[in-house]
Amino acid sequence: MTATREAGALLEHLFRQQAGRMVAHLTRLLGPANIDLAEETVQEAMLRALQTWPYEGVPENAGAWLFRVAHNAAIDAVRRNKLLSDKSDAIVAELTRSATAPQDAPDVEVQLRDDELRMIFMCCHPEVSQESSVALSLKTVGGFSVREIARAFLADDTAIAQRLVRAKSQIRDRGLTLDMPRGDALKRRLASVLDVVYFMFNEGYTAHEGEDLIRRDLCFEALRLGRLVAASSIALPTVHALVALMAFQVSRLAARVDELGDLVLFEDQDHALWDQRLIGLGFHHFDQCMAGDEVSEYHVQAAIAATYARAADAQSVDWSMILRLYDQFLAINPSPVVTLNRAVVVGKVEGPAQALAAIAPLENNTRLRSYYLLPAVRGHLFLELGQPVEAAVCFRAALECPCSEPERRFLRRKLEECGRATILGQD
Amino acid sequence: MPLYMLLLYDDPTGWMKLSPEEMQRATEKYMAWTKKPFTKDSKRLAPDAGRVIRSQGGKPKATDGPYSETKEILGGYYTIEAANYDEAVKLALDHPHLDHGTLELRQVYGT
Repeated sequence: MTATREAGALLEHLFRQQAGRMVAHLTRLLGPANIDLAEETVQEAMLRALQTWPYEGVPENAGAWLFRVAHNAAIDAVRRNKLLSDKSDAIVAELTRSATAPQDAPDVEVQLRDDELRMIFMCCHPEVSQESSVALSLKTVGGFSVREIARAFLADDTAIAQRLVRAKSQIRDRGLTLDMPRGDALKRRLASVLDVVYFMFNEGYTAHEGEDLIRRDLCFEALRLGRLVAASSIALPTVHALVALMAFQVSRLAARVDELGDLVLFEDQDHALWDQRLIGLGFHHFDQCMAGDEVSEYHVQAAIAATYARAADAQSVDWSMILRLYDQFLAINPSPVVTLNRAVVVGKVEGPAQALAAIAPLENNTRLRSYYLLPAVRGHLFLELGQPVEAAVCFRAALECPCSEPERRFLRRKLEECGRATILGQD
Repeated sequence: MPLYMLLLYDDPTGWMKLSPEEMQRATEKYMAWTKKPFTKDSKRLAPDAGRVIRSQGGKPKATDGPYSETKEILGGYYTIEAANYDEAVKLALDHPHLDHGTLELRQVYGT
């Protein structure tokens, strides 16, 4: 074996990504009932690397090395494991063939991507709950550990571990397979895959609590999964819409929080911090989502995000365009949260009084009862109207709702602003 | 300059808790260490108990190593160059292995 110490640096996230694709690949060869076995053998390969490379250096093709070692571990496990006895010869033969296939050959590459895709589609089976789907996708295809998933969801390790056990037993008990559904069933499954991917993305994107690094990883993993589907033969326009939406949003990730971890509103963001490469990726997929007649929620949201991305700075945002898109969004999804977001845009286009009128019907909505953004938006609008006393009441109400530390600090700053404005008003 | 053997002991089951990402980060830290100018050599030992050979009644006899006796086993060693033990210890203090196990330093006699 050629081991060169100079080969040194590993590709970023090599272990994590290689773990995901190896688990997907080995699960296909071992059968979905044996995901655990696939995971164990992959872990064994990583462990072997960890025990060898620090002394011997990294082999020239680190990914292929891991792949081969995992296959060999799987072959040993199948020979030992009595559960697989009736099929074990065939499985060993298949594993042996696959272990020696050059991993960078184009057809092998295609096969591996197909394995990952099938794995995601199985994880997102409607028989598996959405929470479990997200956890299982992250664990198997994403190469995240239980602890990392727990950190990302602000849950404890046991809860996540139980979610995974449940998901795997659902797969076993209901005999779910890695076969791709066809026709309408494929469309339905695709919709559930996209929901899971977007849920994963939002978990990483919207919360401001917890460890930033792992949440950022969650966003990029969702983007990677979305792109994987977008690169496949089932890439309907909706898929491109979702990928565009995620790429646009994630491009602003660095600009959303300042060095102190405080929230930076869109208006105050430093556009130099926007990731132009991701914006480019967003537009690439946005163009492709225009094919066909379907206008999904992802389409409208991607169009809104694209409008923001097009603006050279906060002053040149085309707010009336965004308002038209929000009208469309509201028609597809007449939910209180969309109504609230639309009202913010109404404020930009028609003024704060109209915006307050637009959210008036939400006042007694039970779904928004403890949603801090409703009173926070009202407070913001009252401030704009020059009514700091009313605004302060709203920000205080917002502070009563559950929210993260950075959000809390933001609300307190707004409250102080109300105080200053009140004093000025009395002069 | 004197050479020192830096022996790395660890409990292999401890690594099982790491995620792929954490394993990669650990591997990278070790590899960075092997590239330090004072590191002259590094070798991994096979993850088994090895053999112990003793004379019993005048006849040499090989037995399996004392694997189960201790939780930490010798996983490998580095050879480093240092002026004296104090310097060798100082160099070893930032070794990533300290997050996972124990280090032992022994001077190679006559160097």
